[in-house]
Amino acid sequence: MPKIEVNRDIFYSFIGNTYTDDALEALLPCAKAELDAVDNDEGTLKIELNDTNRPDLWSTLGLARQLRVYEGGQRGEYNFFSNSKKSLDTGNRIVKVDPEIKATRPFMAAFAVTGKAVDDSTLKDLIQTQEKLCWNYGRKRKSIAMGVYRSDLFNYPVMYKAADPDTTRFIPLGMDKELNLREIIKEHPKGQEFGHIVENDKKFPFITDADGKVLSFSPVINSSEIGAVEVGDENLFIELTGTDLPSLILTASIVACDLADNGFTILPVKVEYPYETEFGNTITTPFYFQKGMSVSIEYARKLLGVDLSADEMKTALLRMGIKTEIKGEEITIEVPEYRNDFLHPVDIIEDIMMGRGMDSFEPVMPSDSTVGRISPEEEFARKTKDILIGLGFQEMIYNYLGSGKDYIEKMGITGDNHIQIVNPMTENYEFVRASIIPSMLNSEAISANAVYPHHIFEIGKIAFLDSKDNSGTVTKNALGFMSADRNEGFNQVSSSVSAIFYYLNKEYELVELDDPRFIRGRSAKIVYNGKVVGVFGEVSPQVLENWGIQMPATCCEIDLDFLIKD
Amino acid sequence: MDFDLKSLHPLEIRLLRHVAKNEKITAEQIIEDLSYKLGQCNQAFSWLAAKEYIVEVSRKLRTLYEITETGKDYVSKGTPELRIINLLKEKGSMRMPDISRDLGLENKDVGSAFGQLSKEGVLKMDSEKNVEVTDKDLPGRITLLVSLLTKGLESGLLDESQFTKDELIVIKANSKKRGAAGSPFKIIEREDLVYELTENGEKVKKLLLDQGVTGEEIGGLTPEMLSTGSWKGKEFREYNINTPPSRVLLGRRNPYSQYLQWVKDKLSSLGFEEFDGPLVETEFWNGDALFMPQFHSARDIHDVYYLKNAASAKEIEQPWLDQVAETHETGWETGSRGWGYKFDHDFTRRQVLRSQGTVLSAKQLHKAKIPGKYFGVARCFRYDQVDATHGADFYQTEGIVLGEDVNLRTLLGLLKMFAEEIAGAEEVRYVPGYFPFTEPSIEVHIKHPVLGWFELGGSGIFRPEVTKAMGIDVPVLAWGLGIDRMALMHLGLNDLRELFSPNIENVRLRRSK
Repeated sequence: MPKIEVNRDIFYSFIGNTYTDDALEALLPCAKAELDAVDNDEGTLKIELNDTNRPDLWSTLGLARQLRVYEGGQRGEYNFFSNSKKSLDTGNRIVKVDPEIKATRPFMAAFAVTGKAVDDSTLKDLIQTQEKLCWNYGRKRKSIAMGVYRSDLFNYPVMYKAADPDTTRFIPLGMDKELNLREIIKEHPKGQEFGHIVENDKKFPFITDADGKVLSFSPVINSSEIGAVEVGDENLFIELTGTDLPSLILTASIVACDLADNGFTILPVKVEYPYETEFGNTITTPFYFQKGMSVSIEYARKLLGVDLSADEMKTALLRMGIKTEIKGEEITIEVPEYRNDFLHPVDIIEDIMMGRGMDSFEPVMPSDSTVGRISPEEEFARKTKDILIGLGFQEMIYNYLGSGKDYIEKMGITGDNHIQIVNPMTENYEFVRASIIPSMLNSEAISANAVYPHHIFEIGKIAFLDSKDNSGTVTKNALGFMSADRNEGFNQVSSSVSAIFYYLNKEYELVELDDPRFIRGRSAKIVYNGKVVGVFGEVSPQVLENWGIQMPATCCEIDLDFLIKD
Repeated sequence: MDFDLKSLHPLEIRLLRHVAKNEKITAEQIIEDLSYKLGQCNQAFSWLAAKEYIVEVSRKLRTLYEITETGKDYVSKGTPELRIINLLKEKGSMRMPDISRDLGLENKDVGSAFGQLSKEGVLKMDSEKNVEVTDKDLPGRITLLVSLLTKGLESGLLDESQFTKDELIVIKANSKKRGAAGSPFKIIEREDLVYELTENGEKVKKLLLDQGVTGEEIGGLTPEMLSTGSWKGKEFREYNINTPPSRVLLGRRNPYSQYLQWVKDKLSSLGFEEFDGPLVETEFWNGDALFMPQFHSARDIHDVYYLKNAASAKEIEQPWLDQVAETHETGWETGSRGWGYKFDHDFTRRQVLRSQGTVLSAKQLHKAKIPGKYFGVARCFRYDQVDATHGADFYQTEGIVLGEDVNLRTLLGLLKMFAEEIAGAEEVRYVPGYFPFTEPSIEVHIKHPVLGWFELGGSGIFRPEVTKAMGIDVPVLAWGLGIDRMALMHLGLNDLRELFSPNIENVRLRRSK
């Protein structure tokens, strides 16, 4: 979830009101936001935004817009949008796209900004917006990257090209010498961070002006001159490149609306593609591509559980900044320029809910009568636990992830059936346990100081590879128990097994076991209905030594799923 | 000062009651008066001295004589001298080697006996070296030895102080301190301790007398006492009930598992049926079926665990695969416009360790009853650094409610019920939330009597993209409860790792608040 930092005074001036921290906290849910921290010395607020489909809220101006409108204030009118029917005049502000870039990073959106000088807080906020949008929404610049430039320093048309990484050279921002694009990936900090996005391509995305002056190596780094925006600059050019056109255009719209709310004038730019896109081969951005959406009034009532009138819904949506039209039994919304999160009519219903406020919905108990019950596995587990407790065993609960060292090496087994994680956080959590026995021996290994005898058990899940299953794995409910004491041996554990089966009302037979985990001749397989359902015996001294255990121990493990079924 | 009469053993009680102020208390006396065995006497002395009820005033060295195996032999067969005399009386005169042979004695022993007895005039030898008995009476030392041997056999130990002068001479001649095997007596030297009652001892004695504690009370009831009725009319020795009891190692539930069981029982009692599932899931069920786009940031390699072997499932069940894929791409028949990307059929088969309990809800949908309520307590796995608030694996409690008439208000009602019944909340607050698979989405915050305000859980109405793709046309409420914080509070812990502690002693001692 993105977090943004806002200057409190500027934030409140954009909302048009001031709030105590408590009052702000109470208001923020209308933007699915939370007040994370307040820094009174710096006069800043940290706010967490929970809706990953509302990138328009991830900036001072965007969040302020939502709160202002919710509180009854006005939403800006944005007259700089073109759409599929009407393209605004852009004069000479044109971007020409190189056909070769299609394979790498095919799309661009751009606009120019003018009308007043950029001040410090605007610049900070612009950088923060760019970071949040490109990181969280643009998947770490992979699908969206944004650059801001001083438009006084170059001439249109801007060229968006595919450049040879070895022969193309310029001075990147933050350095004082010329490097080629490949060197930038290796040497520049931003190159090291974002170079991987393009490094496997033959040619890299590159932006210049009409005369070949460099704007940037997108999505990595701006040039040191045109790309070095400073406080006091009055004319800016903003471009975004990426791989997904709708989200790219939406991001451009969000930034444009923010700057417009901040008092800047937005000048559209025409992007000319040598290939077709879903919005044609010339797109004048900012571009309004969103389609209207309708919801049935009846459906909204049913889902909300309240008989709201169409007008009440209209008012609620307006409070969320959404204009509507009521036609018969349907409400049609005009999706705001800065939003694209209406996938289904239910998304409108949620905005109606938020516009009404949660307090207007009275909780009511579901009236359907249903029969509750625990699962047969849980019921069987409880029955089994009762017996183990009667036998004097302490119940344990273990983690299901562990190391190959514990689960395999120390047990002296091959571990062929173990589920291994490709991307473990550390080797301590690299395998899923295929047996409860190592979990219990780990307990014994760290509990030599606990008064003896030790009797412990767990009923939990184990999982292992099984090619017969569609998933190639199987998860089982298993019982494991372990005893450790000076005089602990086969006879004791065999007696416990006998008692467990007796009280579970099951018959079993024993067959000799040859298993490296146990002492041969003092361990057995438990056979139930012709199937091996468990093993038990005296733990091999080699295994005990591997674990550093200096007390004789016995273990048993039983597959409960086999017992539950029959 | 308080005296604890209940900590006194019957041996101590009887001794205390018996002795008088300023009396010299010795083992000898107590053995005689109270018929204690020496061991019992010494135990009573050491316990009472430790409690400072008696105090040692002096020590006395005593010499005792103990009959040996040789001595016992003398008693049954007679002493060698007597045997020689009796043989000669019976057979007349004999030569010395014949005496040795007949009696089974060594020649030298017979020789030295003859030397002594002939000196005393009891035996004589003729010119033919035949030995015969004279008419002279037996010397006193022999009769004295016989009587000492008899006494020694009866009482075990003979005290030197009780001997006459003559007896003393005889016994000294027949005893050795070491290597006494050939002698009839062994010399034992012993130091006798002498005690007196202390002031406290006198007070305790008085208390015992006043309260009528005799030390004759019954220590423990036995089956024999019950069968014979010998307990009747007797008192029982009273125990000190505050003596720390010894520790019992018992079979016991794990309090965390017990808490989870309580949650399960609570949910069952509220009409929910439990579901469960495997630890390994496909991307299909773990995310796709929940309408999370395959490019969603929470589905990156750094958020879920992938498998090395069994990397992909063989196939995904139909028609769910086609319906879900189509829903992602175009919205299918769900009324949605979909995510508008090309659904990846290889990615969807990829397997992960279940990262969210909602998987179980997704899988339940197509087989659910309507109306129906379901819940699961599912072990989940997240790619997180393990610390006090993140486990390698952990439990999530999730569920769904299906019904023709469920809606936002019933969702709020459900959350209120959870807040009150499961968390014991005093106040409930609902705020809009965001989850990829529900719309609307609601977070419920509660004011807990101990923990204060915190987020109890997330919930919402499943998106039609989720339910319709599974063939469900009614609204479905989905909810998840974060019960870990309550579990920690319940167990008095503040580290999630402790819930899964492998430490036997920690778990044994753990109890719920």
